[in-house]
Amino acid sequence: MRKYLFIYKSEIMSNLQYIGNILFGFIFYFLLLFVFFHLWDYIYSDPEELIHGYNMSQTIWHVIITEILWSSVGGNKLCQKIINDVRGGNIAYNLNKPYDYIGYSLSSHLGIATIKLILYIILGFTLGFVFLKDVPIHTLFHLLIVLFSCILAIVISCLLIIMIGLFSFIIEDSTPFYWLYSKAILILGTLFPIEFFPSVMQPILTSSPVYAVASGPAKLFVDFSWNGCVEVLFIQLFYVGICYILCKLVYQKGVKKLNVNGG
Amino acid sequence: MLTAVKNQVRVTLLTTKYALMKEMLNKTTFLMNIVFMILNNACFIIQWIILYSIRDGIGGYHFQQVLLLWGIAASTFGFSRCFFYKAFNLSEVIQNGKLDSFLIQPKNVLLSVTTSEISPSAIGDLIYGYIMLGISGFSISKFFLFTLFTVSGGFILVSVTVILSSLSFWFQKADMISEVGDSLLTSFATYPEGIFQGTMKILFYTIIPIGFINYLPIRILSEFHLGYTALILLIMCFFVSFAFIIFYRGLKRYSSSNLMISKI
Repeated sequence: MRKYLFIYKSEIMSNLQYIGNILFGFIFYFLLLFVFFHLWDYIYSDPEELIHGYNMSQTIWHVIITEILWSSVGGNKLCQKIINDVRGGNIAYNLNKPYDYIGYSLSSHLGIATIKLILYIILGFTLGFVFLKDVPIHTLFHLLIVLFSCILAIVISCLLIIMIGLFSFIIEDSTPFYWLYSKAILILGTLFPIEFFPSVMQPILTSSPVYAVASGPAKLFVDFSWNGCVEVLFIQLFYVGICYILCKLVYQKGVKKLNVNGG
Repeated sequence: MLTAVKNQVRVTLLTTKYALMKEMLNKTTFLMNIVFMILNNACFIIQWIILYSIRDGIGGYHFQQVLLLWGIAASTFGFSRCFFYKAFNLSEVIQNGKLDSFLIQPKNVLLSVTTSEISPSAIGDLIYGYIMLGISGFSISKFFLFTLFTVSGGFILVSVTVILSSLSFWFQKADMISEVGDSLLTSFATYPEGIFQGTMKILFYTIIPIGFINYLPIRILSEFHLGYTALILLIMCFFVSFAFIIFYRGLKRYSSSNLMISKI
């Protein structure tokens, strides 16, 4: 565990040198929130009107939180790195190293994700205050629980993306699977709270990874309840375990097929 | 003059053909890119079904018009990336001094660079655009108008990118400006015009010309207007000419990095 902590710390230190690139990503985050603010402002004729139990402020805060999570993960970069490692043969260099490839990829990517999470929280909350002038969560303790849930969401998201990247052992380029994954998260988890979907879909979505990586923490933030908290954290811990096991299985199966051409 | 244009068009089409053949070397990956991009775009229909279950008529658009908006946004995006993919990496080509191999060709440099690569997934976007046209209500006249606006919108997208990327001849890190411009054009492209008010509407018909790429074509496809159609074509000619002027002005400042690259 200590070696992964060391990798994590090193990644934080090295990525602090390139903080400008992260700040550049703020523009895209701002654009998305700007579009959604206008969209929901148009749909809600009165900000206090309730749609599926959510007022305008709660719906927009839901988007702010889910987008903080998605932007912090930076999934495309992670997925491309894993795909390039598999396709280019770089993964072979990791075989004789005293660490596990999944653990290494996860801890190294969590380094940059941590910096992004802190910066996006600052930006997201600032924009939330400017656009909406209130925050739906009121106690520091609740906020810390939501933060813990957000960290778990990022870990699960990273594991799922690593698994998609590892599919390149089977098909040459697994990027199209990443597109579908990102759109599933965006449509089913980021844009609307679960309650906006038809009642038939709600139990399926609640037990899916989408809830663990996006809607769950956002729901806790906009409408905190202890029952909801236990449910979200239980689902998230379950997915951390299951995703890690699946990643290991795909890796072990794929690495047996590995052919490395020297040069 | 006419022969020169004819030759240039022939060379451009051949370049695109060879770029396509290169991408088709791995047929499974090629087809998967196209199919998954269609599925990827189709996911957004769920978003609009949910929004329209809350309220009818969002931003002055009914559901069929939103599908058509998605169609035109996908097809213009697809057209630009399918035939002129390298335009979206032009900043990197200029900054790293990779223009040399294009400069020695006895043809138009800008066209040679921009058509040298295609994106297979963009074919999926292009097909998706026409699927949306079919779903939202197909007719022969709409098909021709849709194709015209796909080409005009695609050319405007490429031109804006070329203009912003050409700033790399003058400034370092101009790729960031180009990326921002690109994301401004794509972020607003799939949302009804009516949800934005005031200054934003002015911006859509000036510095972020999304109005001429998406919004005005939707109006014309709903109710034909010759004046608006002519205006779109005029704006397209303006952007294309401006892109050529800026690129060739900048090219005079280009300096090679003596980089050896092979073009296959």
